Amino acid sequence: MTAPVLTSGELRRQRLALRARGWRDFLHRFGRRREGLVGVAILVLYTILAIAPALFVGPLETAVTATGGRLQPPGTAHILGTDELGRDMLNLTVHGTRISMIIGFLATLVTVSVGVVLGIISGFVGGRTDILLMRITDFFLVLPTFVLALVLTPIIRDVLGGGGEILGIRISLLVIVVAIGITSWASTARIIRSQTLSLRERAFVDRARVIGGGPLHTMWHHILPNVINLIVANAVLVFAGAVLTETALSYLGLGDPFQPSWGQILNAADQAGAPGLGAWWYLVPAGASIVLVVLAFTLVGGALDDVLSPRRTGRR
Amino acid sequence: MPPAPRGSPPAHGATVRSRYFLRQVAQAILTVAFIVLVNFVLFRMMPGSPERILLGRNPNVSAEALQQTKERWGLDKPLIPDQFVSYVVATVQGDLGFSFVYRGKPVTQVLAERVGPTLLLFGLGELIAIFIGLAIGAYSGWRRGGPVDYVGNGISLILYSMPYFLIGMGLLVIFATALGWFPTYGMVTPGATYDSVGEHAADILAHLALPLATVAIGLIGQYSILMRASVIETMNDDYITTARAKGLTGGRILRHHALPNAMLPAVTLIAVNLGYVVAGAITAEKVFNWPGLGTLTVEALEARDFPVLQGVFLLLSISVVAANLVADLIYGVLDPRVRT
Amino acid sequence: MTERLESGAATTAGMSARGRRQWPLPKQADPAAPLLVVEDLRTYFTMESGTVKAVDGVSFRLDDGEALGIVGESGCGKTTTALSLVRLLPANARVVGGSVRLFGIDLGTKTEDQLRRYRWREIAIIFQGAMNALNPVRRIGDQIAEPVEVRLGLPAAQARKRARELLELVGIPKARAKAYPHELSGGMRQRAMIAMALACDPAIIIGDEPTTALDVMVQAQILELLEDLRAKLGLSLILITHDLSVVAETCDRVMVMYAGRVAEEGPVGTVFGSPRHPYTQMLLAAFPDVNSGRRDLGTIPGEPPDLRTPPPGCRFHPRCPVAMDVCRADVPPEVTFGDRLRVACHRYPPGSDGAPRPLPRIRGAEPEAAP
Repeated sequence: MTAPVLTSGELRRQRLALRARGWRDFLHRFGRRREGLVGVAILVLYTILAIAPALFVGPLETAVTATGGRLQPPGTAHILGTDELGRDMLNLTVHGTRISMIIGFLATLVTVSVGVVLGIISGFVGGRTDILLMRITDFFLVLPTFVLALVLTPIIRDVLGGGGEILGIRISLLVIVVAIGITSWASTARIIRSQTLSLRERAFVDRARVIGGGPLHTMWHHILPNVINLIVANAVLVFAGAVLTETALSYLGLGDPFQPSWGQILNAADQAGAPGLGAWWYLVPAGASIVLVVLAFTLVGGALDDVLSPRRTGRR
Repeated sequence: MPPAPRGSPPAHGATVRSRYFLRQVAQAILTVAFIVLVNFVLFRMMPGSPERILLGRNPNVSAEALQQTKERWGLDKPLIPDQFVSYVVATVQGDLGFSFVYRGKPVTQVLAERVGPTLLLFGLGELIAIFIGLAIGAYSGWRRGGPVDYVGNGISLILYSMPYFLIGMGLLVIFATALGWFPTYGMVTPGATYDSVGEHAADILAHLALPLATVAIGLIGQYSILMRASVIETMNDDYITTARAKGLTGGRILRHHALPNAMLPAVTLIAVNLGYVVAGAITAEKVFNWPGLGTLTVEALEARDFPVLQGVFLLLSISVVAANLVADLIYGVLDPRVRT
Repeated sequence: MTERLESGAATTAGMSARGRRQWPLPKQADPAAPLLVVEDLRTYFTMESGTVKAVDGVSFRLDDGEALGIVGESGCGKTTTALSLVRLLPANARVVGGSVRLFGIDLGTKTEDQLRRYRWREIAIIFQGAMNALNPVRRIGDQIAEPVEVRLGLPAAQARKRARELLELVGIPKARAKAYPHELSGGMRQRAMIAMALACDPAIIIGDEPTTALDVMVQAQILELLEDLRAKLGLSLILITHDLSVVAETCDRVMVMYAGRVAEEGPVGTVFGSPRHPYTQMLLAAFPDVNSGRRDLGTIPGEPPDLRTPPPGCRFHPRCPVAMDVCRADVPPEVTFGDRLRVACHRYPPGSDGAPRPLPRIRGAEPEAAP
């Protein structure tokens, strides 16, 4: 009995149907996990704020357009109080959302891209390329990458010169994106490489080779779709890390006072002496936002991990 | 009685073990060499004339000063191999250059002055965190699902998501500003004189309390989550079922079977996290103005004091590599499988 | 907490029947009772997707010195049955019914702490895949000595000595006691597990697929070792496997399980020589036999049922070539014939003569009308 021959159209439809079922399955299982849903809710909220902050609180207040008294505690006019220039904290924090999230997103993009490319190449090609790349990766894993990013940022800034914007983000902040991206890719690369190695052993890769696909074709069409799950789960956690790193870098003074992220707000708070003066409203909004967003990413990442690679539940 | 087939005779224990250890040490040395190379690349090969970087961005620098600096640093010689070689030689000999900010003070001296407070803060913090964090994590993992686990895990998750400086600021606002129990900054009360060593020590301790709490809390959050996950993973292993089948008590299984195995990934993860701990270190010190390497970094950043930044980078990197090496060696002691 | 030797009535009956057992019977033992009686055991798993009735009414008896083989497809509940005897189940599983009597002592009424005392001292388990079942960071000598020291209360030095003796008993040179599990070959690890199981001189050893992960030569050696130990020490054995040839070679009796229930049970010669239950017949037909002439191997069409929603009546009826209407409705009762043979099938109703009724066609038969 010979198998029925499927037309390419039917094949494609079959594949789509399978994929759709896979999605429904996944959403169903993800929906079961409460923590994941809480995380998603928080992230949706902050993403909305990040996309159009001006819609909610108006344009970013500056020293000139400040509306309140200096360092006022929360009150009826300003529900979250004001900073030392009289700017409304709510306004600052919501605008800070945009900066922090965008930088986090871009940094994640760079980190994951570099990590995935190097990981797949390393795992797939093997041999000396693999050994060399893995040495470099291990090196970056041991290095305190934060310190490297810390030191790289001013150097690159000095090299690139003054201000200017790209797509609404100042160059000085984009430098942070690059610095984080260059330094954080190593763990992603490692994870993706592992998965690539095990995929390489699977039959479909051999089949692809027999059909005549070159290595690039195989990597793009066969390896990549099968590591997407891993990439997404990893990217979520990378995002969390990127937010934390950017926050720390800004707190240490590498932020931009004209486009303040949450970290920069906290830096300004520190410089204004807020902690010593007990001006807690200066610290809480940005601080709480950081914690909520990072927590949300961690929860979502954990739930994704659970759903995509179920743990053993016990003996038969 | 059927005799067993001869398995391979075990290699002599001591030589196998030392082979592993030697390998780790060799790798560490190699990594340090790379670090030195990266340092060189960062600071010499970056565009923007190196001598200006070394001298600071003072526009009034005279031509002679520029030339003198060039000669002293060998910047008039070709980059590779001469500059590189002289750089490496200088570094190995402990000459890391001179600070801009502290006019003419050798970087090594600047670093030496700040290492102590950082070691004190972080040494104690790590010790406390390792004991408490691993214990909490192990207990949570063992009694998974209990009330202690939920609460503990929740708190740990939140702490894990908080940057260290945020924890520090929070503690500062509550305990120093509001309650006034502790001083708000520095390592000692400025301008204080002491009648005895004890008084001096007490003053330091009072200043140390909040920064130490910050570091400890941050690390405990991290380590307990790590250990909990590790214990949970270990409990799924078959030899735990064997241990239960042997009729051993829960306590014995935990101590003799689960923990020795759960410690392994924990040690690895602790080592991997050391890089991030350094990040936390720097920021935490800034909150309290603790006079260690962290605040030094912040000052150097602001002033673009590149020699000092370079020195800090070198020192911190080498420290992390050394700590990783120690962790690897400890792992080698704990896990007999890597030694073969 | 170490357990001291239980002083008290050591019955001569118990000891002589089983050879040179070193440690006396448990205090509450009834010398007249059979070694192990399991009645209507039920163990259910609670999962997100429903309740899995993994073991649903299993009964059997193990006499002193007997070797019982439990066979069946993967997932039929053999391992769960064995683990349920000492309640060594994962957190989401519970024994919801039935009784387990060891020496006449009802283990079901024991608390966890009380039950723990019977583990290993009376019933020891050899797990499949000794690489994972042994603690990778402890030496095997220490692992074997552990139950001797902790459960029997012997001082450490003596425990280690006994461990070395046990190693020798299973054919591992004493010097290897210092080895770690990863330093041993697969066969030696399995021997080490056997040595460990013997540590407290148990009455029953349960082997859960003890030879599955090993190659054929090593498998033969391990089975020979178990035979040897049985003869020497008077052990009783429960061997769980899906490999019928292992059972045929080593066991006195065999119990065939399907979907959480017993299909057939009896002496190995009878069950394998003239199988009665359709499932047993088809199982045997699927097994190649070196000695017989060429024939096509049978397969059993279909798949084992989902134990969250098992089929009503006889669980085998969807795949049974001779299923009758009553099979779809009623659970077949277990009927015992002479020679301690049990069958649970409507083709052998109570009161029938118990003669085997072979299937009309062995290979891939579709269900047909009642004969």
